[in-house]
Amino acid sequence: MISYIIRRIGQSIVVLFVVSFLCFGIFQFLGDPVLTLAGRYATQEQQELVRRSLGLDKPFYVQYAIFIRNALRGNFGLSYTSQVPVMRMILERFPASFELALVAMFIALTLGITLGVVSSLRPRSPLSRAIMAGSLLGISLPTFLVGILLILIFSVWLRVLPPFGRGEVVRIVGRWRSGLLALDGLRHLILPAITLGLYQLAVLLRLTRGGMLEALAEDYTRTAWAKGLPQRAVIFKHALRNVLIPVVTMAGLQMGELIGFSIVTESIFQWPGMGNLLLTAIYESDHPIIVAYVMFVAGLILFINLAVDILYGILNPKIRYD
Amino acid sequence: MKGRVAWILIGLLVAILGSASILGMAKDTLVVAVMAPPRTMNPHGSDADANLQIMANIFDGLLQRDADGNLLPALATSWERVDALTWRFHLRQGVKFHNGNDFTWEDVKFSLERLKEPYPVSEFLAFGAAIAEVRPVDGDPWTIDIVTTEPVPWFVQNLHQIFIMDKESTETRSIGEIGEYPIGTGPYKFVEWVKGSYLKLEANEDYWGGPPPIKYVVFKPITESSTRVAALISGEVDLIQDVPVELFDMVKSSPNAEIITRPSRRSIWLGLRNSPGFPGSDVRVRKAIYMAINEDEIIEKVMMGHAFPCSQIPDPPTVGYDASIERLPYDPEEAKRLLAEAGYPDGFTIKLTGPNDRYVQDEQIAQAIATQLAKVGIRVELDVKPKAVYFPELDEHGLDFYLLGWFDGSYDFGRSFTKLLHTVDPERGYGGLNGASYSDPVLDKLLEASSSIVDPTLRADALRLLNRVAMQEKIAVIPLHYQEDTYALYKPSNVQFRPRPDGWIVCKDISFGG
Repeated sequence: MISYIIRRIGQSIVVLFVVSFLCFGIFQFLGDPVLTLAGRYATQEQQELVRRSLGLDKPFYVQYAIFIRNALRGNFGLSYTSQVPVMRMILERFPASFELALVAMFIALTLGITLGVVSSLRPRSPLSRAIMAGSLLGISLPTFLVGILLILIFSVWLRVLPPFGRGEVVRIVGRWRSGLLALDGLRHLILPAITLGLYQLAVLLRLTRGGMLEALAEDYTRTAWAKGLPQRAVIFKHALRNVLIPVVTMAGLQMGELIGFSIVTESIFQWPGMGNLLLTAIYESDHPIIVAYVMFVAGLILFINLAVDILYGILNPKIRYD
Repeated sequence: MKGRVAWILIGLLVAILGSASILGMAKDTLVVAVMAPPRTMNPHGSDADANLQIMANIFDGLLQRDADGNLLPALATSWERVDALTWRFHLRQGVKFHNGNDFTWEDVKFSLERLKEPYPVSEFLAFGAAIAEVRPVDGDPWTIDIVTTEPVPWFVQNLHQIFIMDKESTETRSIGEIGEYPIGTGPYKFVEWVKGSYLKLEANEDYWGGPPPIKYVVFKPITESSTRVAALISGEVDLIQDVPVELFDMVKSSPNAEIITRPSRRSIWLGLRNSPGFPGSDVRVRKAIYMAINEDEIIEKVMMGHAFPCSQIPDPPTVGYDASIERLPYDPEEAKRLLAEAGYPDGFTIKLTGPNDRYVQDEQIAQAIATQLAKVGIRVELDVKPKAVYFPELDEHGLDFYLLGWFDGSYDFGRSFTKLLHTVDPERGYGGLNGASYSDPVLDKLLEASSSIVDPTLRADALRLLNRVAMQEKIAVIPLHYQEDTYALYKPSNVQFRPRPDGWIVCKDISFGG
């Protein structure tokens, strides 16, 4: 187990190197930050001055080597546009993205499992069919459309929920502000969390239903029925418990993606998270933010994958890592 | 039974959520949704209008512009051009910065010299480089001369966007701190900036121009346009910038929203190479392309009516704008005749380069032009690309035919001309955005002649002449249209707002009407 973990960490480091290299390669085609930073009326000489002060006149491999040297010391550089350390900017935005992902995952898990179980009990009933049709919509509707529709219905027509932003937040510690502790903050969370979680909800629902249909046909379930156990015990204690392992694993793996790739949702709802920061950075050719963001999210996903693998091994004794 | 409980719970939830939205703030706060978040609170750190419009609420320049684009006194009470290089300003006395420091001529000197420092301090390098000296006149600290290194006729035209900073607090703080906490003399004081969420400002009760009518202003960036419109219709914000054409009907159908428009300062036009051997070197070809373009159709079909035909690059408040210049008529037959006369009876092939994410409907405009030119035999190869790729190409001066939008932040056609159409000369910083290396010695001479004229009226005449020759005789560019600036107001808030030519949201001019 220990040797497995060490090997996985080694692999993760290699992946991070590859990711950072790709990131740097892409910058060569992402537009020249100097053009804006020197100002609209700058002469070529002034542009070169700015280029030198940013170190962008050096060849690609030298820039990359400098970046790696600094990154290994935990220094990802300053944002071109705001001259603030980029990791601080990303960490400042992290709570917003994290809370959004957390609530989205909560909605996806609770509703996904509940509806999955309901639709597996009487698979042919109209209710089950409606749930399955709805889940198909959840999988196939683009996030963008879902977000706009929710805003239209709940903010413009019904006027019960706010269309954008985080609303009131409570400072917990340092720069960590939370929207979970204020009614206004919670109201602001609902629409974006549904938008972000809808796809995952549909996936988890289908996974639960599939697993339940299988489990309900298994011998141990039939034995449980035959023993005369109450319905509740059969469904929840015997069938669902076995189904939950892959569902929870899946949810864990998706958590990283929810945090990292909520860009579309964050831009629709002007959610002040990391995705929004990335979009602005791309728009302004602020390369240090882009590279730090990609490294942060890649690291996060690698970490979550590793953690899920380890937990899976603990939960399911049949799994052995060598 | 269970079902009923669930419904009651849902009803309660909706009631709680709904009631919370009614308990809005008392109306001492104006909430403005802007398109792009501000980048920095360093007033020299960005020359983008998205940033300058916010700085204009916190800082003052020596001069300012009113809602019609007229230049007015601000920290300077009056000004004059003493000679070709020297500008004299009489400074306002008794002004204090938000931290209590007094405004003095030293702050002016410090701020103007700060413009010279490259990244990360200033994006006004070119303007800063032109400043040679700032000195009090005859020992009077309230009268100063600003001397430039070469004649800069538009010098004062630019001073509404050059903001004056406090010397003491700027020198003692790091650039990161300056970028996060601004200290100005302006009508609003900084309260809080949560990046990506909002920027909150509070009225400066001691403002030299009198306290502004609205106590608090909150700027919220909402980049996604449909969300911005939804935020307005639902009353979350009072005023929004930029309503996209396709959402007009949605705003109009809402009883709570009102749209305000005005012609934008930005003109959209086509640049065309005129180097020897290239078809564009013959002015008949340039005229033919002009006359083959049906601008009315572009405005109606592509811009959905939300644009105004233009006959020149500058807009009315710009020095050098000439109302007597008219568009050439749309006449494809005449265009064909001109092409034949110039030796292209069967037309020619040309590549049209342009951005696809910069201006309203930019790619569609280029497509429409390709179709229209095909009718007179000119085969257009379209080459549209993201602005991040397009603008560096434009800087290389190697394009043949390109689409560009322009307005001059300093309201001066002379300056626009130097940047856009003067023969490329990197040493002097001329022709930096001259994408097709357009070059005409007559026009260059006319410009150079205008820059040494001290008298502003005479100089305006010279620039109008330059503009007329460029547009009517030389067809230096093919003008298309001015874009339209759009805003929407939340009616119940009763916001009194007049759009400005520069599109800035200047809150001291906004009030809640009675």
